[in-house]
Amino acid sequence: MRRVAIIGYAVSRLEWDAEKTREEAVFEVAKGAMRNAGVEREDIDTVISASTDFLDGRTISSCMLIGASGAYLKDESKAEEDGMYAALYAAQRIMSGVHDVALAVSHTHSWIFNPHQVTQYMLEPWFDRQNDLLNEITLAALQARLYMSRSGADETHLAQVCVKNLRNAVKNPNAFRKMPDVTVEEVLESKLYSSPLTELMISPPCDGAAAVVLASEDVAEEFCDEPVWIRGIGNACDRYLRDRDLGRLNSLRIAAERAYRTAGIEDPFRQIDVAEVSERFAHQELMAYEALCFCREGMGKVLIEEGMTEVYGDMPVNPSGGALAGDAVCATGMIRLIEAVKQIRGEAENQVEECRTALAHAQWGLCAQKNLVFILGDRR
Amino acid sequence: MRRVAIIGCGQSKHGRRTDVNQAELVAEAVWAAIEDANIGVEDIEAYAVGNMQGFGGICQPDLVFADYIAAGGKPMQRVATGGTVGGSTAHLGYYEVASGMYDVVLAVSWEKHSDSAEPGATTGLLHVAFANLSYMMKIGMDMRSFAIMGLAGAAAGISAYQAAFYMARSGCRIEHFDMVAAKARRNAAKNRYAHLKWPGCTAEDIAKTEMLIWPLRFGHVCPASDGASCVIYASEDAVRRLGIKEVAWVKGVAAYADEEADQGESYQGTAVVDYSDQTGAILSARKAYRRAGIKDPRKEIDVAEIYAPFPHQELMFSERLGFFDDGTAWKALEEGVTEIDGDFPICPSGGVNATNAIGSSGMQRVVEAALQIMGKAEDHQVPKDVKNAVAHAWGGQVQFNTVMVLGDRPKGW
Repeated sequence: MRRVAIIGYAVSRLEWDAEKTREEAVFEVAKGAMRNAGVEREDIDTVISASTDFLDGRTISSCMLIGASGAYLKDESKAEEDGMYAALYAAQRIMSGVHDVALAVSHTHSWIFNPHQVTQYMLEPWFDRQNDLLNEITLAALQARLYMSRSGADETHLAQVCVKNLRNAVKNPNAFRKMPDVTVEEVLESKLYSSPLTELMISPPCDGAAAVVLASEDVAEEFCDEPVWIRGIGNACDRYLRDRDLGRLNSLRIAAERAYRTAGIEDPFRQIDVAEVSERFAHQELMAYEALCFCREGMGKVLIEEGMTEVYGDMPVNPSGGALAGDAVCATGMIRLIEAVKQIRGEAENQVEECRTALAHAQWGLCAQKNLVFILGDRR
Repeated sequence: MRRVAIIGCGQSKHGRRTDVNQAELVAEAVWAAIEDANIGVEDIEAYAVGNMQGFGGICQPDLVFADYIAAGGKPMQRVATGGTVGGSTAHLGYYEVASGMYDVVLAVSWEKHSDSAEPGATTGLLHVAFANLSYMMKIGMDMRSFAIMGLAGAAAGISAYQAAFYMARSGCRIEHFDMVAAKARRNAAKNRYAHLKWPGCTAEDIAKTEMLIWPLRFGHVCPASDGASCVIYASEDAVRRLGIKEVAWVKGVAAYADEEADQGESYQGTAVVDYSDQTGAILSARKAYRRAGIKDPRKEIDVAEIYAPFPHQELMFSERLGFFDDGTAWKALEEGVTEIDGDFPICPSGGVNATNAIGSSGMQRVVEAALQIMGKAEDHQVPKDVKNAVAHAWGGQVQFNTVMVLGDRPKGW
């Protein structure tokens, strides 16, 4: 299989700005990523964008962004889910040998359409959507309850995840929600959305865009002195809500196992230096610890209790602040990917020492139905 | 480069399918393809899916019915590119195998227009227009282009505009559009999956229908169908391992994007003035042929499935794809070259003009091209030896194009 490296990236500020258009945001990150990679538009063979028509509030949402993303008269396509899936498709196009340099762009502008409202359209329309009880937040609360009763974690553990991530976000210039002095009590006392989930346990929707430039092993070093190599990819989709075990992220486990196998990782806790995961809700980070095999099943709470996933811990998770510090839905996973790249290049704000192998995770669907894992490394 | 083949095809019956829901409709095509390939469902390693979710009213319907297509626990990737989505999904499935990540991949795309309050085919582009209209008003932009095209009938409006451009440039007349539409309905009558069938339909029959938007008549316009189409790809190793005999090899793919039609001139400055230029289609075709090792498309390609919801598009794209010189396709039509039994058959299945379930349509072109190569197109099989076939789709605001070249032998055999 042909190896693929990430040679450049760009992220916009996560914000809530109805004056900024999608075209402007996408143009900035596409241009930024190319400049960061040291490539010109002529060097790009293929462009893959990621966004969702429902979130964008218009059909064929990519059709107005061809100029902005630099895809004009290029081999182009659009992944309709998280930006990391666009990076995956771009990588596949390179691996096939048809293309050499690819640009993957993603964006969501939450001011257009409330993402929590959009998730109602993800429900099966014949019963689930019509009973008026289910939405992304109530379903996540259900998932949190199931997870808590299985693992013995309680609200405090969920709040500890928020405290860690919101404090990590303080140094991140792009983060949307930063709270340097937040405490567990404050998280627990913030507005209750759906028990046990309070406001600060739910990732805040915001606007954002991100882009990465990928290159094949044949050309990566021409453009970039320190390419970050994709060493393993795992992707899996779970069944729909009521046909799956909501209290476990089984598809994440399958995806992680696949990614570890290709990357030759046997002991993720020791071999992975940092992980950036997409936790739309606080409990999902604990569930991810277990699905990613950082600990045994049900032991996620111990990792957070002991501070092992802090920036200075043995297994740092989300030093950037994660999705809880700002959720630009389609860009969230790609931002995790970029944060992992930054860690390996030594450019992160909360830099982990001697970081050589990093994990990036994206999720999609209700209660993280779909999961994608990349393992990145400084060597091929 | 890894060789990839289509080993199985499946289609649901297309039409107004109120007898099934969206999940059942998709499952119909998926299980037909699995049966056609004669493999086990456990052999499928990954999925490529796509539709235009706004038309059916479910955001990411594939997540709801992962179980119906046996995708639970397996990798699934999704694309959405407008009318091209079926073609884009076919390309995604190809790349999933070509990348070396998977050996057997199922690609399915579909649309269920009857679930939506208004047919998506007409409202689709209008949804684009409204969102941008409000945005353009907000920032005080020139709305001239919307006044002439965007709001004047959405997909049919923009296509009428394009048809007029094409007539002016090629010298063809409305009678030629009647002939194309009649051919589509006649061919569809031979295809058991098609929607609008009319055995023995003539250009005069079509000419009697009402004029909707000049130069397009009611009889020129595609229906809003429900349907799903599916192909299964396998790597060369997997073809051998699974002992599959009948395959169609993917020789080259390309999908070049142009600027969106209505705003090209006033908004982004890329100056798409003549909608029948179709630079993206020309580039896609050239690139796909080069990747496939095809030098003279007119001679080396035996049959083409062109995405033509409106009849002028069959003529226009057959020129852009290099089968005829610019402005001459209507002459070939008059001579009967593009009939099923002609020298260069185009859309022997009846094409999108007779059956249009948006998401399904692009994939259906790939399915039909593959069937022609495998000799499994039943009543609409072209009466000649098919070595190479082309599947095309267009989408977005007449800006996206996907081209796939299939062959009975892999490239460089």
